[in-house]
Amino acid sequence: MTTTPTRTRPSASRTRGGIGESVGRPDGVPKVKGEFEYSSDLHVEGMLWGATLRSPHPHANIRSIYTSDAEAMAGVFAVLTHEDVPGRKVYGMEIPDQPVLAWEKVRYQGEAVALVAADHPETARLALGKIRVDYEVLEPVTDAETAMSEDAPKLHLSGNELRRVDVRHGDPEAAAEVVVEGEYEVGMQDQAFLGPESGLAIPDGEGGVDLYISTQWLHVDQDQVAESLDLPPEMVRLTLSGVGGAFGGREDLSMQIHACMLALHTSRPVKMVYGREESFHGHVHRHPAKMRYEHGATRDGKLTYVKANLIFDGGAYASSSNAVCLNAATFACGPYDVPNARIESHMLYTNNPPCGAMRGFGAVQVCFAHEAQMDKLAEKLGMDPVDLRLKNAIEPGMKFPFGQEVPYPAPVREILGRVREIPMPDEQEAMGRDLRELPGGVSNTTHGEGVRRGVGYAVGFKNIGFSAGFDDYSTARISLSIEDGEPVVRVYTAAAEVGQGLVMVQAQIARTELGVENVVVEAADTRTGSAGSTSASRQSYVTGAAVKEACEKVRERIFELVRDEFGESDELAIEDGNIISDGREIAPLMEILDDGEISEIVEFHHRATHPLDENGQGDAHFQFAFAAHRAVVEVDVELGLVRVVEIATTQDVGKVINPKALEGQIEGGIAQGLGLALMEEIRIQDGEIQNASFTDYLIPTILDMPPVKMEILELADPEAPYGLKGVGEPPTIASTPAIVAALRNATAMELGRIPVRPEHIIGIPKKPPDELPQPESSRYSGIGRLEDRRET
Amino acid sequence: MPGYDRAELTAELKVVASPGAERTPREQVEAVRRVAGDSGLAHEAGPETTVLAGGRGEVLDAVRRVVETALDAGAHVVEVKVEAERDAERFGS
Repeated sequence: MTTTPTRTRPSASRTRGGIGESVGRPDGVPKVKGEFEYSSDLHVEGMLWGATLRSPHPHANIRSIYTSDAEAMAGVFAVLTHEDVPGRKVYGMEIPDQPVLAWEKVRYQGEAVALVAADHPETARLALGKIRVDYEVLEPVTDAETAMSEDAPKLHLSGNELRRVDVRHGDPEAAAEVVVEGEYEVGMQDQAFLGPESGLAIPDGEGGVDLYISTQWLHVDQDQVAESLDLPPEMVRLTLSGVGGAFGGREDLSMQIHACMLALHTSRPVKMVYGREESFHGHVHRHPAKMRYEHGATRDGKLTYVKANLIFDGGAYASSSNAVCLNAATFACGPYDVPNARIESHMLYTNNPPCGAMRGFGAVQVCFAHEAQMDKLAEKLGMDPVDLRLKNAIEPGMKFPFGQEVPYPAPVREILGRVREIPMPDEQEAMGRDLRELPGGVSNTTHGEGVRRGVGYAVGFKNIGFSAGFDDYSTARISLSIEDGEPVVRVYTAAAEVGQGLVMVQAQIARTELGVENVVVEAADTRTGSAGSTSASRQSYVTGAAVKEACEKVRERIFELVRDEFGESDELAIEDGNIISDGREIAPLMEILDDGEISEIVEFHHRATHPLDENGQGDAHFQFAFAAHRAVVEVDVELGLVRVVEIATTQDVGKVINPKALEGQIEGGIAQGLGLALMEEIRIQDGEIQNASFTDYLIPTILDMPPVKMEILELADPEAPYGLKGVGEPPTIASTPAIVAALRNATAMELGRIPVRPEHIIGIPKKPPDELPQPESSRYSGIGRLEDRRET
Repeated sequence: MPGYDRAELTAELKVVASPGAERTPREQVEAVRRVAGDSGLAHEAGPETTVLAGGRGEVLDAVRRVVETALDAGAHVVEVKVEAERDAERFGS
């Protein structure tokens, strides 16, 4: 990794482990050694095991539910249905439309219908089999376009269109000298976190409950659980347990309410752990999308207009689909100066699995489409695709098509230029190469014959944090005291560490601001005020700012004590646990604090954002992050197998807080982008998931992951702590279209759908030919030939 | 409502269907759901419960239509709980 500092660094203390250092994960070694306690490892004496009965049908009426046989089983302590939900029977982050337990209708395969608590997980599973549900099976609506039609059955009371966002900018009827059109499709990607949904609910004996849970947002869970339990929020206390990845899939509820219901009903601790197959049904996924685009430009390559019709399949319930619909609309044109735009973004209910938050949150789908369009336009104009992008790159001071002024920094031009300058990987002779360096690897499918190399570029951007008027503030409490003769800083927040590294960032900030090396980041829980969600790449910014400001307040109180006691008037600093003035050591912190503790709480609110108006105009976002990618691929054009040779990337991060963690975020994000480009898709047929396992749902392994060359820009955002930008999502957004662009470059095929499968590359038609070639026919000898397959 | 997109006003209506009425309890609930759905603001929130969420004026207009429909269908009791956005702000806070 190389970095490009573009501003003076703030004066950092000399205390080790501060910002800018590659501080190691405190949970790194335990995780590698298998000693880390994930939420699925929780155990308490006398606990019961909860299990969920799920609908086998994507769309059905429930005529009746019989639970008596299950209740009569030895070892079964409770069987609960919707009648046992004490409070609100529905939940949802935006719209409470999802039943805690279905009452008379199920709208997707896997919807929760009943719960069991038993003394053993196998007993609970057997009891589920004893519950009889009489379904009237209905025809499912399995396609968003079908759901839009007038005669489609209404899946919810007010119809199937969950949200529509229109963006109208400039002249909607603008014409252009050169026009390209395209249709693009994105399949349903899964977050594929390794730790399945799990948690432990413990009743407190006074009507309340403690829930230990792996989640992304403790407080929104707390409020929704409390609402459905009909309890005040303070009687539902949540503590974060070990989280095995999230990527958006834990932002919504899974078993939180269920475990608490069972615990309160039985007055026993209840643990729930989903299996892998159940996990595929138990969380939301990335929205599948169908997108129609039209780009108009002048003959010299200046964009004139963009028209886009975006149709997203939200699945059966709302989750965070409303916000995804808005995001897609605002990022639909890409990071380009587009004088005229007309964007329609539609979010539909269907009987497919519910979709919601996933890394990239609406920006991923449209980036695939707008970048393919830019390549198509470049080809039609006879321009270099990077030059076309550079010519149209948006800059600070311009306006996005949704009306917001582009804030500084917006280095689209710079990251594109730099990614092009990163040295290309060496050209290698394909024949005779080590099989592991060929498409298909050790499957021995090619020894180099039919292998073509391609190169593709893409650039993308996304908002950091929540948008359109939502105040996703964060709360931090910092305490400084002397413990065992040493100064110790304790950081209290409700921010969820889900593997992204916030636990290091918080400690690094505290060390930098307070000059104390011994920093303890306490477990997140709801006793501290909300930190908002660990999503939208927002925690380093928002919780980072809360921690920083709370540390500054603590520091100022120490300085007041020093001034009072020593009469110092010079500028003070804390370094390695000592108060410093003008290079002189005034006193150790131990002496200043004595046995006392200094504690401060800060609630940090970022700049206000605003909803879009009826024309899709407004200051909807408070920070933007940009990344560009170049992919080099090799394709076996006879079998459609792909090897990604290398990814190069440039990303503006504002400030590198932890170089090693940043590298991990970028490489991990690219892996997820590669997965969407080439292999990751939940295959759904008639509303039913066909591949709910990691045997059949493929994710990239170390063998699929190429080397990543990265160049990092540090262009400080003047409003953010240390100038930092969120870094988690941008690597996922443009890596996918860069890989597909490289595939197009290698194969000259359109490839308008992701993930790109081998059959797309070699052109196997979806259906067999009407007439099969016979031995005496002219086509018989051509069976299997690439050209023949493509003609078919 | 929680999350990103809060409605100015939310009304939760629970129809206590009357078994002795001309129309069955099921028909009473269905009539309410139909009218609530036509408002474009509605979601089911339980076997007899419907939520209307949106702007103040449109929600209050819809509440009146839904309650009238429930009464016309034979229901004797409709429980109505109305929350302004201020109350909903505690979600996630």
